Amino acid sequence: MAEISKTSSKGYLGGLALISVLLGLYWGLLQAPPDAYQGDVQRIMYLHLPSILTAYLSFFLVFIGSCLYLWKREKRDDNLAHSAAELGVLFTALTIIEGSIWGKPTWGVWWTWDARLTLTAILLLIYTGYLMLRSLIEEEDRGAVSAAVLGIIGFLDIPLIHMSVYWWRTLHQPPSILRPDKLPWENIHPAMLTALAVNFAGFLLLYFYLLSLRLRLGEIRNEIKARRLARGVY
Amino acid sequence: MGPWGFVFLAYGIVWGAILVYLFSLKHRYRCAQDELTQLRAPEELSDHAKK
Repeated sequence: MAEISKTSSKGYLGGLALISVLLGLYWGLLQAPPDAYQGDVQRIMYLHLPSILTAYLSFFLVFIGSCLYLWKREKRDDNLAHSAAELGVLFTALTIIEGSIWGKPTWGVWWTWDARLTLTAILLLIYTGYLMLRSLIEEEDRGAVSAAVLGIIGFLDIPLIHMSVYWWRTLHQPPSILRPDKLPWENIHPAMLTALAVNFAGFLLLYFYLLSLRLRLGEIRNEIKARRLARGVY
Repeated sequence: MGPWGFVFLAYGIVWGAILVYLFSLKHRYRCAQDELTQLRAPEELSDHAKK
């Protein structure tokens, strides 16, 4: 019975995510006005900002899951960290690709060794390393502990990424929304802010849908391993 | 490439990659579920036999 209720709640979450994503596409591509300086190419922002914020959320969950695993040694926390790391890598890679496509028409280059871009690439490398570490160390508990340590250290890169535009002279613009001196609606057109909010909601719902699937996959894999061990097959 | 070309390139890559990830996740999920069902089957048979 609990299994059926879990499956139907995942279905609702998936449906809700799909509707939000479609609404986000409508707002981002058709409703929001073009930017006064950049024109229509600025519409990439409605993907770029939600995807990096989703990646940050994901790595925060890796951090929480890793801390809890090192403290309590429960597989559930390790599963959370592992699942969130996989999704975080996906959303960080997408952020770098979107940024690169946005950079070409606005900066004239696909890539530059700017502080924020470089630190984001380092974040991607750290968590790709995290996933590789898990698959390379055969002893499961040792792999989980090593990955948890890397997951916690890797998270320290995120405040550096956020502050990089203030600390170094960079090509990347400072934040438009998360600014200490201005409220979001004072700095951006209301239609643009709405498009951004709708897209962010869509990304969040999609993220939690994907995370729920990935967590369930981790649980099934853990049960398979336990059953194999019990039979002496593994 | 015009501005809309860059926009569609970005949106196409992002939603394409997310769809590929979703399908690969569902595939891995189904494979794991099948394997678990196979592992559970002998135990369920013996439980039925006991009843």
